[in-house]
Amino acid sequence: MAAPTKRRYPAGSPLAGYLLRRLGTSVLLLLGVTLVTFILTNMVPGDPIAAALGEGASQNPVTVAAYVERHGLDQPLPVQYLTYLTNLVQGDLGTSLTTGRPVTEDLATAIPASFEVAIWSIIVSLCVGTALGTIAAYRRGQVSDQVVRVVSLIGLSVPTFWMALVSFHVFFLQLRIAPGSGRLSPMLTPPPTVTGMYTIDALLDGDLEVFADAAAHLVLPVLVLSLFTIGLLTRFVRTAVLEVLSADYVRAARAKGLSGPRVVFDYVLRGASLPILTIVGVAFGALLSGTVLVEAVFAWPGLGTYAYNSATALDLPGVMGVGLVVGVIYLVINFAVDLLYGVLDPRVRLA
Amino acid sequence: MAKRIRRAGAAVIASAALVLAGCSGGNGDNADGAGDIGDTLVIDTSFIIETGDPGRTYDQTGYMVVKAVYDSLLTFEPGDETTPVPNLATYEQNEDATEFTFTLDGERTFSDGSVIDADDVVFSLERVAGMVEVSRAGFLMDGITVEKVDDLTVRLSTENPSLQLPALMANPSLAIVNSEEVAANGGTTDGEDDAQSFLDNNSAGSGPYVLDSLDLTSQVVLTRNENYNGPAQPEFERVVIRNVSESATQLINLQGGDSHVAVDLSGDQVAELGEEHTVNSAASSQTIFLLINQNEEVGDVTANPEFAEAVRYALDYDALLELAGAGAQQATGVIPPNYLGALTDGVEQDLERSEAALAASGYDGETVTLQYPNDFPVGGVAFTPLAERIQDQLAAAGITVELAPAPFATEIEAYAGGQEAFGLWFWGPDYADSANFLPFGPGRTVGLRAGWTEDMAPEVADLAEAALLETDPDSREQRFTDFATAMQDSGPFVPLIVPGSNIATAAGITGVAYNSTWTIDIAEISSAD
Repeated sequence: MAAPTKRRYPAGSPLAGYLLRRLGTSVLLLLGVTLVTFILTNMVPGDPIAAALGEGASQNPVTVAAYVERHGLDQPLPVQYLTYLTNLVQGDLGTSLTTGRPVTEDLATAIPASFEVAIWSIIVSLCVGTALGTIAAYRRGQVSDQVVRVVSLIGLSVPTFWMALVSFHVFFLQLRIAPGSGRLSPMLTPPPTVTGMYTIDALLDGDLEVFADAAAHLVLPVLVLSLFTIGLLTRFVRTAVLEVLSADYVRAARAKGLSGPRVVFDYVLRGASLPILTIVGVAFGALLSGTVLVEAVFAWPGLGTYAYNSATALDLPGVMGVGLVVGVIYLVINFAVDLLYGVLDPRVRLA
Repeated sequence: MAKRIRRAGAAVIASAALVLAGCSGGNGDNADGAGDIGDTLVIDTSFIIETGDPGRTYDQTGYMVVKAVYDSLLTFEPGDETTPVPNLATYEQNEDATEFTFTLDGERTFSDGSVIDADDVVFSLERVAGMVEVSRAGFLMDGITVEKVDDLTVRLSTENPSLQLPALMANPSLAIVNSEEVAANGGTTDGEDDAQSFLDNNSAGSGPYVLDSLDLTSQVVLTRNENYNGPAQPEFERVVIRNVSESATQLINLQGGDSHVAVDLSGDQVAELGEEHTVNSAASSQTIFLLINQNEEVGDVTANPEFAEAVRYALDYDALLELAGAGAQQATGVIPPNYLGALTDGVEQDLERSEAALAASGYDGETVTLQYPNDFPVGGVAFTPLAERIQDQLAAAGITVELAPAPFATEIEAYAGGQEAFGLWFWGPDYADSANFLPFGPGRTVGLRAGWTEDMAPEVADLAEAALLETDPDSREQRFTDFATAMQDSGPFVPLIVPGSNIATAAGITGVAYNSTWTIDIAEISSAD
């Protein structure tokens, strides 16, 4: 009988092989994102040149010809796409037709602004949504369960744009406990850019006044954006916890006489964590890229606003830049979620 | 277990800290709703800006910023855009209106203290002319030759008479830059100019303010020019122009004392403001109009003057104006009010005349498609409700209209290409002169979009040409009036509304006056505090 052969992994270890496969898949997916975005944007009938140059300049053939040549719009579409990919490999996302600046510069401003709001929104949503969902599950059918379910429903059904306007009016104008729009009070100077997130940069700069002001400006956008995600998470947590509560290992933990909090955190929530994690990942991606209306109300110069402006102006490099970034965001989040699956549930770990 | 509880606790505490920070950072200091103006002026507007380089600036917010930082040869007094007045220079012209001689006073200085001379003027204007391939403002210098006469004198020449040239020299795109400083940072006149990034971070002008910082997505900060020696009296140490795209937010910021000037409010919104705020409502320079294509291949039933006449007299203009709010006026012609040659009275609804014209046009109940941009409100006037009201009014007059809205970037291709049979569009001037409305004439830019060639209306084409080439300033107004009258009588356009501009200010703020090019002159704003 031959001795069992040891399985060989191309990258030396199962984890490295897994990472390589994920990386390869991600690159292909991103390539697909660029291709689909390119095709869709070019399928939209319209005239980006007239839209970008305006009435006066678009009447001047010299200006139009130079603009077309500068942006490569005189090339066949396949050539334009290949040129885009070639530049992309070198980290060049092209020049925005609307802002006239490199798309990477535009995104470098928009992404940190969105990230700063999204990260706090997901933290608030996770804490509140998990707490409410767990309480509702434990008190299934009772008044508190009904109340939580109604609150969750409100969070899901109230239009976020409307809620943003109402909350801004109430907390800023009526109650005067929130600051005005924007990321910072106009009397203050933004901190030196390190991360692009004002709170972090202010702390790095040791400027507590700017930190407090930037944090204050975050509160309303964060709370408004959290409302929907809280509603979503509450429902998922409730369902997931209800499933786990009837599991044998939870009953066994209770039978052993473990304390209530320990059962909740070590057994119930851990067991329910996988579906919750999935929702958190999706919600975080949506918070980063899909908050254009809330950004408009709070004058928050984030990714959603940039995407909207690019799309309405048929700004191909801008649209493709946003598409690529959103694609990367979702890929990274999904990858992180997959890794966390392994941390939380040993059954899904490799090898 | 304890670790997990601590982690969860830390997250909750962090969130609570965020909330507490919010509470502590409220606007309690501005509880009177008027705002503490102090040394900083805060202006909220929806940004349309690409750069701080005057030679590349060709947008609304950009002009507002450049006007405060750079001076042009000429300017306009607040509230009057009919007559350019001296700014950096005085001027004289020859009888043919083909040579304009500008003379500097030799005393005005740039923000670095150096004196402005003829070399700066020549460099600035030739730089813009040279950037025709990369600057949207480059066309403003089309056909203009610049020549230095002496250290303080510059002559501008044109091949044809050009009485609009003085108005052009008031445009912020043609502002005078410090030639030595700009040239030292990549500025050239040969089209290879590379000074934009320098001018996006620094200013090299002689205006009342200097550029402190420029963030195209959020705010522009100006500070007072300590070397300014012009006639304006800039009052504020610091001016913050913020990008607030949502007009409802601009309104709340103003009411809550977070800003002092809100630029983009609609007529309905300014009606909400109390007596503690001041509202400056004025007719803008934009004109919203209907286009009725005269090209048979494109327009079919629309392609005759009688159909255009039927539409013109079928509409109830007062009812249309209800959609526009404060400051708006009925368009009295293709030249908006406050411009040379504008007509005093607009068309009035006359259903009998409309009916007769419709019968003469041969229209037989065909459905006409009205195309318009549905994502580009002009002066607070949204096009979809306006189009719906037009549709209703024309239906009452026997004309069947179906609506075909599309995004601006999509629809402009058909409009600019002359492929719309029936369109709802707008037009505004590039600079403050009535010559900007001659493109409505037959064979010209907008006329051709309506399929209106020169041979269809040679007499109107002659009127446009005569207005353009008029050399006598006293006769010029009549020329434009004749053109506007002819357009109202027989043109394929139905001017509808001149939207209002509504600029609201906090209590104590004065000096805000609407200008069709730079919106507001920041240097003119002052505080009663």
